[in-house]
Amino acid sequence: MDRRNFFKTTGAVLAGASGAASLPVLSSCTSEPARAEESVLSGKRWGMVIDLRKCKPGCTACMDACREENNVAYHGDQRWDIHWLRKVQIRPEDETVAGEEKAVLLMCNHCDEPPCAQVCPVQATYKREDGIVLVDHHRCIGCRYCMIACPYNARFFNYKETEEWPNKDYPKRSHGVAESCHFCAHRLDQGGRPACVEACEAVGAGALVFGNLEDPDSEVSRLVAEGSVKRIRDDLGTEPKVYYLGL
Amino acid sequence: MKVHFTKIEGTSVSYYVALAVLAAFTVAGFAATLIMHEHGLYLSGMTNRVPWGLQISMAIFYIGLSAGSLVVSGLYGVFGKLEYKPFARIAAYLAMLFLIAGLLSILTDQGRLDRVFTQPFTYLNATSMFSINPWLYSGHIMICVIYLWALFKEKGTLTKISSLVVVLWAIGTHTGTGAIFAFVPRELYNSSLLPPSFVAAALSSGAALMILVKVGLFRWTDRRLDDEIIIWLGRRLLSIFLVSTLYLFLIENLHRVYLAESHEAGIFFLFGGTHSLLFWLGLIFVGSVVPAVMLFVKKTGTSVRWIVVASVLVVVGVFLERFLIVMPGLMHPPELFPGWEVVGGVIPEGFVTYSVSFLEVLQTLGVIGFIGFTFMLGLKILPFTPTEARALPTPSVAAASPDADVAGISGGRKAPALG
Repeated sequence: MDRRNFFKTTGAVLAGASGAASLPVLSSCTSEPARAEESVLSGKRWGMVIDLRKCKPGCTACMDACREENNVAYHGDQRWDIHWLRKVQIRPEDETVAGEEKAVLLMCNHCDEPPCAQVCPVQATYKREDGIVLVDHHRCIGCRYCMIACPYNARFFNYKETEEWPNKDYPKRSHGVAESCHFCAHRLDQGGRPACVEACEAVGAGALVFGNLEDPDSEVSRLVAEGSVKRIRDDLGTEPKVYYLGL
Repeated sequence: MKVHFTKIEGTSVSYYVALAVLAAFTVAGFAATLIMHEHGLYLSGMTNRVPWGLQISMAIFYIGLSAGSLVVSGLYGVFGKLEYKPFARIAAYLAMLFLIAGLLSILTDQGRLDRVFTQPFTYLNATSMFSINPWLYSGHIMICVIYLWALFKEKGTLTKISSLVVVLWAIGTHTGTGAIFAFVPRELYNSSLLPPSFVAAALSSGAALMILVKVGLFRWTDRRLDDEIIIWLGRRLLSIFLVSTLYLFLIENLHRVYLAESHEAGIFFLFGGTHSLLFWLGLIFVGSVVPAVMLFVKKTGTSVRWIVVASVLVVVGVFLERFLIVMPGLMHPPELFPGWEVVGGVIPEGFVTYSVSFLEVLQTLGVIGFIGFTFMLGLKILPFTPTEARALPTPSVAAASPDADVAGISGGRKAPALG
């Protein structure tokens, strides 16, 4: 029994024991959510390689495209702004060590073992068959436990609603629900690619490589197989599907 | 031992004033919650870097008080200490109310209040502590009701069974609450010592609160309360809980600071800002060491007055402890790039702060108002309050207690009425 199943079983037994003593509505809780057609998702495991060496300093094309595409709320206030993609500047802690300051693009890592989905009390956050971690905004109760559990600080909460709604083809969120990058799942499902990847190509950088990790011939698989990629906090066992070159 | 329970009279002006104030708090809290859920949680002090705040801290504080009160209530049912029978009802009632307070605090903190009452029960996620806990809590409340009923009907066997179940359940509830924090990969949360230290602190605060409620209620309603009863609770129970809690803190922090991987986070907790001051001065010194000394020194530890002071300090200390579990863990940023430091970004990736907003304070007052109101009303409607609480005749107390001087102090003197 692997770790996941162990917790699922133990949790179910615990919940069952307490449920039996309190409210008898457990029967509806056992089925896994079936939320997308299998034909679209099977045989795919989406991943991204971010080549920091190609990322242009000061460029915000990917972040802007993401915000436009997904109606990501921006209020001009650091406390409540939402960033599905965000760039951070880092430099070595030990100044005697060689290595200069660099910018790293951070986003949801679409972990294979996502702590956010593990802790979501209502299964609003879940991992799709193709490996994308996403939020059902109609189910989220806004407890923010996923934000607590995400070791990458990649989750954000809609503290307030925004009037802006640039992309009418994609919903905007009400206040009170959590969200994060979903690899533009709505585009993928129609055969497209994430908006950030296209934007990065459009500015001629091509730092974002997106594709199917299941397919050994895809560019992402090739780059990952080369072995010089890194993942952020690989030691946590979350198995991110976002890889970095030049980190 | 026959114990008589009565309703309190509840006809004095001060009783009605207290009820009115508590009702006003409740209304204010309700209004604050409605406003926040109409416009969004940005009206709280929480941010995308500190997504939990006062309500969650208060929730775990209340739940701790609940578990602690139940264990005190169980002194009679589980451990057969007859002289604590007079308090079993009140303790169980308070335990139930505090659990409701905990649930209310969590509820008012949710982003989508409209979904809270259905989703956790219909889409249970068995791997989520937040999903398991509502079952623990609602089960807890129901067992409390059964236990209270057994106490009221003087059902001997049912009382024994339900008090045992309720005490075990209380420990489970608190372990589950501790696990909300302990089971996530955050440096200052992720610790298997957190659930047990949660339970220990819960027992401390619960015992301290029971002392305060008993002394307050008995003096206010001018009933007989023998000093020995309180002295035993203070010196023999609260002191042990307090020292156990301190011990667990010590080990947890030593362990964290010792290991290279968590050293920096441990130092941040102990010496990294205002919260460290709250930890050392508030929790360790005022909330733990000072009351421990008061309880262990014979002169103060055998004086009800000093025990009351110590109990107040313990309750304040445990409140700070709850706050210090929730907040520093969020204020301390996750280590994304070991060996590198983050020097800039579009949103703070480093240390952040949290300040409580006015509406959050109102929400907290609302919860306190609600359970305070229900508590006081309950005392008037149902016979919760014992007419007196006598220590057992001296020889048996001396036999039960290793500390002979406790038994030998004053032979059942009536507690002086306040005012």
